[in-house]
Amino acid sequence: MAKAFKYGLKGITGYLEPAERELLRGLVDDVISMLEPEARENQDPLAALIGLDMEVKEPKDRALQRLLPNVMKGDDAGSLEFRQLTERSLREGKIGALRAVALGLDKDDLVLTPEQARYWSMGLNDVRLVLAERLDIRDEADADHVHLMQDWSQAEDVESYLALVYNFTTWLQESLVQAMLAARERKA
Amino acid sequence: MTPSVAIGTDIEERSDTEQQSSTDVLAAPDIPWNLVIWNDPVNLMSYVSYVFQSYFGYSEAKANKLMLEVHRKGRSIVAHGSKEQVEQHAVAMHGYGLWATVEKAASGNAGPGKGGVQRG
Repeated sequence: MAKAFKYGLKGITGYLEPAERELLRGLVDDVISMLEPEARENQDPLAALIGLDMEVKEPKDRALQRLLPNVMKGDDAGSLEFRQLTERSLREGKIGALRAVALGLDKDDLVLTPEQARYWSMGLNDVRLVLAERLDIRDEADADHVHLMQDWSQAEDVESYLALVYNFTTWLQESLVQAMLAARERKA
Repeated sequence: MTPSVAIGTDIEERSDTEQQSSTDVLAAPDIPWNLVIWNDPVNLMSYVSYVFQSYFGYSEAKANKLMLEVHRKGRSIVAHGSKEQVEQHAVAMHGYGLWATVEKAASGNAGPGKGGVQRG
């Protein structure tokens, strides 16, 4: 059984069972592959290097739309222009955070530096946003409904399994953020 | 947002210790663009407050107040400044997984007071 993250003398620590680490690694890898920028033919290498992508489009997948949202409501042209300048580096930043989570999953005992904790909180958040899209969580009532699924013996189909996984990552992120807030308070 | 256990009931009374943030310094009344954070049913209340504290340097009380405004009203203006400044904040918020947009401030709607940051 996983242990909640806590803040103590060693910093932010937690513990995950091998099966839980395996589960998280799979989720993290899935989100990384969703976020990998498309390889483009005739991509200007210099443009790619500085993060420009003039052929980028608004994502069609709802989960990707949530991870990489339009920056302006009611201004698709303005949003697309911004996307051309920023989406590639946003994707890379998110992938970097998720890779940091994957690296940390190599050990049972988790001891996170403040920087690693920040990456973990971002990575877990993106994993949850993707799971929430797959679970069709549109409002707080949907979220409450999913939240009721807490017992692994209830897992009988893909949806109930996803709900349990979502609740597990929610619990893990909540405990991590509480530990990070406790660390901030200690320093203040 | 998804409720967090740690958000106590005492935060409403604790608005007297608000800090000046870097955003306050950057903002000027003649370049009114707003950074808007939208509610969603996934992001944890604790996480949204943490992001406001760590990225903008807001006090816990102010971060919680803005977070609750997002939660209750569906959106909150959490910073304003020039278009470039709020766009930079927006992409940082997207990095954290918060749903952020930028918008031109309606005249006289750039946030109360000259501090430059809406106090919810």
